[in-house]
Amino acid sequence: MITLLPLFAGLLMLILTQVLPNTQAEGMARISRNISMGIALAVAVITTLLFIGHWGSIDWTNITQGGYVLQNDAIDLIPSIGVTWKVGADALSFPMIWLTTVLIPISMLVEWNAKRGHLFHPLLLVMEGALLGVFVVLDLFVFYVFWELTLIPMFLLILMWGGEDRRYAAMKFFIYTFAASVIMLVGILVMYFHTDPIAGLGSLTGHHFDLVAMTAQNNLIPSEGLRHLVWLMLLIGFATKMPSVPVHTWLPDAHVQAPTAGSMLLAGVMLKMGAYGFLRVAVTIFPESTIEFIPLLLVLGMASLVYGAWVCMGQTNLKRMVAYSSVSHMGLIFLGIATMQPLGIAGALFMMFAHGIISPLLFAVAGAFKHHYHTLEIGSMRGIAHHSPWLAAHMMLGWMASLGLPLLAGFVAEVAIMIAFWMTFGWLVLLPALTLIITAVYYLSSMQRTIFESNDPEKGILPDTMHDEEPRDITWHENAGMLVLAAMTVLFGIMPFIFWDMMSDWSSGFTVETLIDAMHSQEWMP
Amino acid sequence: MVDSNNEWNLLAPIIPFVLVAPILYMQGWESVEAAFLIVVVPLLTFPIILVVGQVYNGNETWKNRYKEGGIFGLGSLALSLSIALWIAYDYIAGSAHFEMNSVVEPFSWLTFDVLHHDGSQWDISSGFADIGVGVWIDPVSLMLLFVATFLCFLICWFSLGYMNTDPINEDSNHRFYGVFVLFAIGMFGMVLADNFLWLFIFWEIMGLCSYLLIGFYYWKDSAAAAAKKAFLTTRVGDVFLMIGLLMLYNIYGSLEFSIIFDDPSTGVGGALVESADLNWALLMLFIGAVGKSAQFPLHVWLPDAMEGPTPVSALIHAATMVNAGLYLVFRMVPFVDVHVSGVAGLEDFALIVAWIGGITAFMAAAIAFVQNDIKKVLAYSTMSQLAYIFTGLGAGLLFLNIGEYHAGYFVIGASMFHLFNHAMAKGMLFMASGSVIHEIHHAHHHLHHDDHDFDPQDMRNMGGLASKMPVTSTAMMFGSMSIIGIPLIGGFWSKEGIIAETWLACLHEEPLMLGPAILVLATAGMTGFYMTRMWLMTFAGSPKTDVAEHVHEGTPWIKEPLIILTLITAIGGFLLALLGVVDYLGGEKDHLAMHGLLDTLKHAFLPDDNELRIVGWTTILLAAILGPIIASRVHGGRLAEGAEANPLVGWLVNLSSRFGSQDVSELADSQLAEALQRRLYFDDLYEWIVANTAIPFASFSAWFDKNIIDGFIKQIESNSTSGSVTVRSITTGSTRDYILMAAVGMLSIFALIWGVSA
Repeated sequence: MITLLPLFAGLLMLILTQVLPNTQAEGMARISRNISMGIALAVAVITTLLFIGHWGSIDWTNITQGGYVLQNDAIDLIPSIGVTWKVGADALSFPMIWLTTVLIPISMLVEWNAKRGHLFHPLLLVMEGALLGVFVVLDLFVFYVFWELTLIPMFLLILMWGGEDRRYAAMKFFIYTFAASVIMLVGILVMYFHTDPIAGLGSLTGHHFDLVAMTAQNNLIPSEGLRHLVWLMLLIGFATKMPSVPVHTWLPDAHVQAPTAGSMLLAGVMLKMGAYGFLRVAVTIFPESTIEFIPLLLVLGMASLVYGAWVCMGQTNLKRMVAYSSVSHMGLIFLGIATMQPLGIAGALFMMFAHGIISPLLFAVAGAFKHHYHTLEIGSMRGIAHHSPWLAAHMMLGWMASLGLPLLAGFVAEVAIMIAFWMTFGWLVLLPALTLIITAVYYLSSMQRTIFESNDPEKGILPDTMHDEEPRDITWHENAGMLVLAAMTVLFGIMPFIFWDMMSDWSSGFTVETLIDAMHSQEWMP
Repeated sequence: MVDSNNEWNLLAPIIPFVLVAPILYMQGWESVEAAFLIVVVPLLTFPIILVVGQVYNGNETWKNRYKEGGIFGLGSLALSLSIALWIAYDYIAGSAHFEMNSVVEPFSWLTFDVLHHDGSQWDISSGFADIGVGVWIDPVSLMLLFVATFLCFLICWFSLGYMNTDPINEDSNHRFYGVFVLFAIGMFGMVLADNFLWLFIFWEIMGLCSYLLIGFYYWKDSAAAAAKKAFLTTRVGDVFLMIGLLMLYNIYGSLEFSIIFDDPSTGVGGALVESADLNWALLMLFIGAVGKSAQFPLHVWLPDAMEGPTPVSALIHAATMVNAGLYLVFRMVPFVDVHVSGVAGLEDFALIVAWIGGITAFMAAAIAFVQNDIKKVLAYSTMSQLAYIFTGLGAGLLFLNIGEYHAGYFVIGASMFHLFNHAMAKGMLFMASGSVIHEIHHAHHHLHHDDHDFDPQDMRNMGGLASKMPVTSTAMMFGSMSIIGIPLIGGFWSKEGIIAETWLACLHEEPLMLGPAILVLATAGMTGFYMTRMWLMTFAGSPKTDVAEHVHEGTPWIKEPLIILTLITAIGGFLLALLGVVDYLGGEKDHLAMHGLLDTLKHAFLPDDNELRIVGWTTILLAAILGPIIASRVHGGRLAEGAEANPLVGWLVNLSSRFGSQDVSELADSQLAEALQRRLYFDDLYEWIVANTAIPFASFSAWFDKNIIDGFIKQIESNSTSGSVTVRSITTGSTRDYILMAAVGMLSIFALIWGVSA
């Protein structure tokens, strides 16, 4: 229900604005912006109330693997091939759901004055619907539909509100991730044809897409070779979305060209779809293959983390740098999963969440630079802190959070993954740990060469792109959006247990019920 | 200039803060129950200062009545100080005891389960892995808590005068006070933390504040660069510290002091702890300490950190934050103390600590010889004195690890006592130097309004200030005496113990201690030289510039902290020594008790042990007589005609002119002096390494990503573009053909998958 509301509302408004005569377009723009915001806020309030147990009195801790809350009775969508509308949430998906619902109004706020607002804000609502769909559905077919559906609003956002090179970036983003998803689809179809029949489902084929039933089915694909192959196909789809080196190059282009709100959602939620899907589908259904491929996960994670950090350091474009830092941080998620420790998995989950609030802040800051100083070149300006103290403050907080400063959200995930990593891999931890230094280097250097250093206390050095424009600080709505993100970063840094407890419980249950048996059958030892 | 007496009424908003502790006491609270307020109240204050300051930036009331937030900062620090004093009173004279160090039940912060292999299968153990946060109190944390709260309070007070009267800081002081209070949170939290993770967390908070405050003048290239350097250098140490934490966690299954220190020889599940594992873990922690306390080879950031405003140097880079590393090493005592339940076989680690200390002490003192910037001299002096404490701790760890626990406890106690003395003296010295710089700056501003090349920190622009700045010169004299170790004053009582015990360790236990022993002894003499040199260059002789002739000591809020700290430095060390503070801090006694006056003096000057007597008197000879006399020959001199200094310092000025003079310009031009000027080329070396490895590699990575990885993708794109041209030729344009093709395609895909799966 909460999934479809924003989706249909957004679509409706998009259509209406096109249908209505031009004379009313301006009024419509104003209204549709406000309505979009209202709906987004209402949805955020609903998920928050659900979380604090006010509604449904759900105890989010102790939800074991496979036990979903808020589940509905499955509704048949395409009975002939076994597609049902089945939703549910657990500790793996709920933080992502909440994050999505909160980020949407924030990104709307940050780009409150976007051009063609009557299209922009409803489009974000469509985006919200598609993203929520990915996180709540428990049917692989519908999951895939939503998965691809998220591409369309993002594609349009980049194409219509993007930078100079938007056409190329949008096409690259679309084709790249679409191609990877198609490979994933083949994997899903193979899984589909191995499912045991369920009475009343799949009258034509005798199979179904029900994720819960697939998870419950012992040994879904008996042949080991085929299982590994399917696992790898799934990995390609999910790793491209995350994105992991070497299939990450769509991300910087997409980010640099995307409008601020698009970047915020792209980094904040869309990347997490990859990690979410990987855990929900690949690891849950094929734990044996996951354990078999731990070295691969390790290599991918390390490559993303270490190589991503080095590439970051070589960037001269602020947004590109932040984009690569996302690649680098996503590498930690693979590493957390590869530890096979409840702590590491919980750390990976928390990383998904923490990165989901920190990276939108980073992109909001980068977007504000673009908006107010018309350039993203690091080093083309100096001493901006003088003109834009609020922008500089947000930059400082975001950058510090992203480099893992304690009492900000990112640190908790980092330290949890590190502890688990040492338990499993020992001295190998030196590599991710030393990368923290590189992370600090590129973040601090970029701050030094934008907001500091003008050698004149009276003014900063403005970039050439400003021409004769008077420098300003960020607008109130940008500031408000960033303040909320900053406050969340601090809140979840000081009190991580708000989400940590349920994540930790889920990881323990997941380890006990899914991973341990596989470890025994694979005779795995670190 | 407003008279300072007229500004006292501004302190009114502080009163409610100060009343909190007494009210809680009357409500029947235990002092430690209130300990959390020490951290929480500043935590609530600092965002208020920042946000209100940003919103009311430039508002007259905010500026004059509330000192741009300084008054609120002072209030919250006063609250912290009053509770700290209350706790200290309770533990020293009141009813509280140290038996249960972890006095407040920790609340869980992160809970998780651990998967472990019990030989035959994997099993999950739940519940035991829990990272909480609580309060830990023992004599050393008590002492550090006092040092931190007391100095934070005084320096915040001092800043009201120093920062708010400097026009360059106009409208940005809320930034200063906000971060200052955040820093205080970091220090208080680190001292109170009852486990290693929270110690690390607050440790990093201090790192952030250090970064923000060094870069306070962010528009200056040098300040921005220094801030970055400080953060990155300490970050290198911190990363290793974090690895150390991971190793400790893996050994003990917890990071809580109470669990680990209960029995450091048994790890998780009752397994015996291997000394090799522990050795690595402690070494990693030690690298973190080296970074934070600016020891060789991670020392390069501290001198540059003087780019920050002087109160920051006083607080962070001399009196409190840099002590974090020492505190961490002190926390390693239970691991090595075989007398209780430590792990034997860690002598090598202790030796490393002592050697790093010895090398840094000597190197920093040598570099301090040639510095002309008053703050730089103090910075190197800080480095050198901290290194003393490391050497002492190294010797102590060595003693404890081989079972000589009396000597071990004694030197550990002496080291911690030196930390106290140094913090008090150095905090004051920096504030006094700030007073000098501030007044010189004002005088210069007054005289030469347009000249911007004048360096108010250069001692070559000073001279003869003893007559102009009576309070400052007195404070600086006692501070220098304490640092030098002039008998009976402050640092003497602790430094003597460190040097003597290091020699004992070398003579009786471990020949390899000879290095640190010689180095610290030599450094004692060098300290005598460079501290005296600094004082004489600033205060003795005749004024070297017209600016120095026109200096007045007139800024409000600056004198009071100096006077208080002068008293503490002058007699506090002696009093505490009489109370047996060394045994107390070392952990040998759990209470302070008055020793006889003669006993104490005899112990210091005429110990029974012959070797101790020789070492002791050599130290006094070098530090208190030889070093100062040489300095007097080079830099000493009478004040200008007609100038009169107060009798407390006048004798010293006169004395300094009695030793003749010596020309050292030849030595000053030598290659050695040049090398010292360039800080022995360490900074150059590090910069060269980074510029020639990391930066090219990063550029290469960026190029590789753009041209190779993405280039590969682009290749596919262009191929498929040309491919699509070919494909276009089979497009017939007939709808029927398309439907046919689509249907055939769909069917074949399904057939394929079905075939593969079945």
